[in-house]
Amino acid sequence: MAGLSYSFEELLQEPAIEEPLIAGGVRCHGGYAGGQYVSPRSAVRQPAIVAWRQRLLEEGQPLVHVPEKYVPPNYPNYPQAKFLLKEGVVEPVTRALTIISIIEGFGARIREVKVPDFSAEIKESVEGTAVAHLANGLFEAHARDEAGHRNEGGHKQMWEAARDLGLSKPHVPGDVLLRLMTGGVAGERVRLFPALSERMENMIVMMANVLIVETFAEDTFAWAQQLLGDPEISADPKRAAHVIECIARDEVPHVDYLTVALSELRARTLVSADGKQEFAGSDVIDSVFRRQLRGMATQRPRQSRDRLRDEIRMAIADAQRASVIAKRFEDLDSGWVFPHPDDEALDILLTAA
Amino acid sequence: MVGRLAERLYRNARIGWTALCVWLRYKTPRWWDALLRREPGKRDMAAIHQRNADQIFNTAVSMRGMLVKMCQVVGTRSDIFPPQYVKTLSQCHDRLPARDFETVKRVVEEDFGRPLSEVFSEFSPTAIAAASLAQVHRARLVDGRIVAVKVQYPDIDHIIRTDLTASRRVAVIYQRFDSNPMDFIPLLDELQRHLKMELDFRRETQSADRVRGFFTNDPTVRIPEILHEHCTRRVITMEYVEGVKVNDRAALEAAGIEYSDLMTRLMRIFNQMILAHGFFHADPHPGNILVNRSPRGKALFTLLDFGLSKELPEGFGLGLFELMFSMMTFNESAMLRAFRELGFETKNEDDATLLMIARRMISRSDTGAFQGEFTEDMTDEMFDAIRENPVVKVPIDFVLVARAFALLSGIAHTLGQRANALDAMGPAVAG
Repeated sequence: MAGLSYSFEELLQEPAIEEPLIAGGVRCHGGYAGGQYVSPRSAVRQPAIVAWRQRLLEEGQPLVHVPEKYVPPNYPNYPQAKFLLKEGVVEPVTRALTIISIIEGFGARIREVKVPDFSAEIKESVEGTAVAHLANGLFEAHARDEAGHRNEGGHKQMWEAARDLGLSKPHVPGDVLLRLMTGGVAGERVRLFPALSERMENMIVMMANVLIVETFAEDTFAWAQQLLGDPEISADPKRAAHVIECIARDEVPHVDYLTVALSELRARTLVSADGKQEFAGSDVIDSVFRRQLRGMATQRPRQSRDRLRDEIRMAIADAQRASVIAKRFEDLDSGWVFPHPDDEALDILLTAA
Repeated sequence: MVGRLAERLYRNARIGWTALCVWLRYKTPRWWDALLRREPGKRDMAAIHQRNADQIFNTAVSMRGMLVKMCQVVGTRSDIFPPQYVKTLSQCHDRLPARDFETVKRVVEEDFGRPLSEVFSEFSPTAIAAASLAQVHRARLVDGRIVAVKVQYPDIDHIIRTDLTASRRVAVIYQRFDSNPMDFIPLLDELQRHLKMELDFRRETQSADRVRGFFTNDPTVRIPEILHEHCTRRVITMEYVEGVKVNDRAALEAAGIEYSDLMTRLMRIFNQMILAHGFFHADPHPGNILVNRSPRGKALFTLLDFGLSKELPEGFGLGLFELMFSMMTFNESAMLRAFRELGFETKNEDDATLLMIARRMISRSDTGAFQGEFTEDMTDEMFDAIRENPVVKVPIDFVLVARAFALLSGIAHTLGQRANALDAMGPAVAG
């Protein structure tokens, strides 16, 4: 088994590759060894995460978990998106893929999360845990995976490459950033544990959010791989789907380290900023996780789907045979029902390590 | 008629004299060097630039009209002019003595075709602000509404034509006599286009309406309502809004406005205009942004003066975003793609120069890495690098956007905050 403590440089260490990944003419991270794709910065990071998880298992601690039944399917779904592309309505899919690429790129902001002073704010030791390595390589590796680093493209550029390969460099609608920035007015977040330091609570909220987003994204990967890999509508199905497959593989360690680190925090005692109060980590993590999951699995994706549906309807309205296309598009809807915010099952968040 | 002729002669003479003084300050030392057959030594050019900028500024302030506008344009063109000119001449905002009330009254009555008292029950004879083309008064409509009335100076059309003609003559003479002349004609063309648009106040009211439309669902942004029935080509009547100047910390505190996230909110507003809508208020100096307190104690912004509003080409927002993003991740090949998408050009396809500009810019950030804020230091450095490398052609849209971001960064620094455009990319937060 790998060790439990690593330096920053070790966690960012690149695996040996024989050939780099070039996607759509852009040099991306990772590469090939023995004909297989190897994720970037995985030489030490991946075995380290396995070791930290193993330690949790030996301690008998459960892992935080996003129940699969709450993962909303991508909208439009694969049959709907395929149908739109076949009918020449390319813009909604182009816009969706471009927005995904931008959001992936913003994943780099995780490197700016300020971690609290663990020695003062966690009662037990965090030595040899994923938590101890968050600011010491894990966040930075995650950031580089998403946004790219120096002349190696990351997931942002890989999504763009997959889009351009599959849809033959489509015209990117000028309103992409508008859609991103005008997605409703967000409510101001109320702190759940004001006695904890702001850094501690912000870090936990950020990690829970990213973990939920990354888990939800698994369905998006499957959707994109199927769609862009479909020879009926994709200009370069093999290469486009392969790029998405590489991204999906790179994302696995993100879900894993966030799951392990949040679960480690859950198993510890958190100390208030003034040092006078103690909180069971399970209370804090579960409360934050539930709140974030409720928001992200219920109201927010429903509003987002409604907005998207309106946009797609507008795009269809410009096409020939608009009414026929609109009807067929609606018929292909999966009929997914979003969970109700009061659904008690949203509280069941744990699974055995 | 005689009065106009005399004025024209006076303005021509004053512009010619100022231009001659400026030219001689640059040329005399060189002539001495040539006469004494010595190598041109290193001179303190900054001092010469400053003396010239000061003289131009004083001439502009005393003569107003087009010259003030020209100073404002020079004040936005850090890519062409040395910093001494940019810093001095950009002071020409809203610092001019107001014209007398009778002049203002005459314009309003001429344009409305009836006595002032039939439209306004009160009209303050003292101006709230006076600028190069117009001044603003507080008034009350006969229906009781309190309004701000922006009135264009009556003779401004004539003054501008005179000054433009004189400036063109001076530029042509200068180009004929100087062995290595700078080409001022494109700048004068740009100024002429700009002034033609700005003199028609209906365009400004359309810009205000357009920007208001961007924020109909965002209660944190307010654009004063334009009362179109009381607007003409030379008069704008709008809702009167009071507030705290955005960079006045003490006043923000006194008004009980919680301003810890003020800059993120303000950047979000400008991001939406620049990156998302492609049409923006290009002059966000502190006097044009007022702040009021929301019921929850947060900042509510009022944007004023849409005279300098700019339409950006399609794809500009995405190109700018890509440039910022690639600078953040040090991805030089992506940076080059973004520079080209934004319209940067180099002679001989010289990529190295563009990369050098980006590197110099990043090196002047506070942390040595670009995190989403175009600080004044960074934009100054970028424009220094561009001036030193005449192989680079910079799109005017980029210059105006960079200037707007630098102005916002200046506001942020006064408040002890950051004007991070990438941080402010998300949707609006409730006020």
